[in-house]
Amino acid sequence: MQFQILWGGYARCVSGGTHPTNSEAAPTRPTAAVSLTLPILDVSGELDLAVAPWLRDQLDALFVGGATSLVVDMSSVTFLDSTALGVLVGALNQCRERGGQVHLVLTEPQVLRVLRITGLAEAFTLHQSRDELKGGRMEP
Amino acid sequence: VKAFTYDDLRTSEREVIEISLPGSVDLVVIARFTAATVGARAGFDLDEIDDLRLAVDELSVSFGPLDGDTCLRYEFIRDAGSVSVRCTREPAPSEEAPTSGGQRDEAVQTERNLEYWEHARELSAVLLDELVDSHGREISDGRSVAWLTKHRLTGEG
Repeated sequence: MQFQILWGGYARCVSGGTHPTNSEAAPTRPTAAVSLTLPILDVSGELDLAVAPWLRDQLDALFVGGATSLVVDMSSVTFLDSTALGVLVGALNQCRERGGQVHLVLTEPQVLRVLRITGLAEAFTLHQSRDELKGGRMEP
Repeated sequence: VKAFTYDDLRTSEREVIEISLPGSVDLVVIARFTAATVGARAGFDLDEIDDLRLAVDELSVSFGPLDGDTCLRYEFIRDAGSVSVRCTREPAPSEEAPTSGGQRDEAVQTERNLEYWEHARELSAVLLDELVDSHGREISDGRSVAWLTKHRLTGEG
């Protein structure tokens, strides 16, 4: 499943070979993520209450596709509020129910600060880059 | 969107800026932008400005789902090295009442998401505890008000 949608915060979702393909939303560009076996949701911009419902829809689509673990690449996210974080927590709960995990790629200190304040930094598996994911530190 | 700066309340140490936004999640970004500007004028450093932006966003979240029947009025008060924000949820002026299907759809969508909003409000309260010096909710003139105050911790601005 691969798709790209633009929004105030925007996202591009790229999955590995274990999930169905949506032929109507063909990939528009290659990324390093295609080498991974977990679905990746690539989000950018400000994740706030305007974007949170859309973010949840994107994550729900991954679960419908059979995902048990997933990666949310937030390395280009500059703002995260409680509504978007709540969506990520919902995804985390779904993954855990399926024996999986949510991996977050984070670089913005303010975004990491939100996770730490809410005590959720330990709940997710955090990575500083996609290279770190490819280095074998990601467990499905 | 309406914005006012009260010239009679503006001095080098103090100014009051008020903005009023239709109850749409798409417009809360304007409140964040205003917060950043007021924070900069109060001498906040970049981290403090980021915290104030997020805190103002969380004030908006504290009201739960927004719809076209309401508007949010933000009052930003810069007083020396502190910023206070009062956000009041009030009925939309009649001429701004929703007329389009899109706005009704938004309301339906947010009703469907009530549980998720409740969870967000819990996280929001935790964030506000850390981001600002004081915050709270109250009823004023029959309207729901969320407020916060944040003081500058760094050197003179």
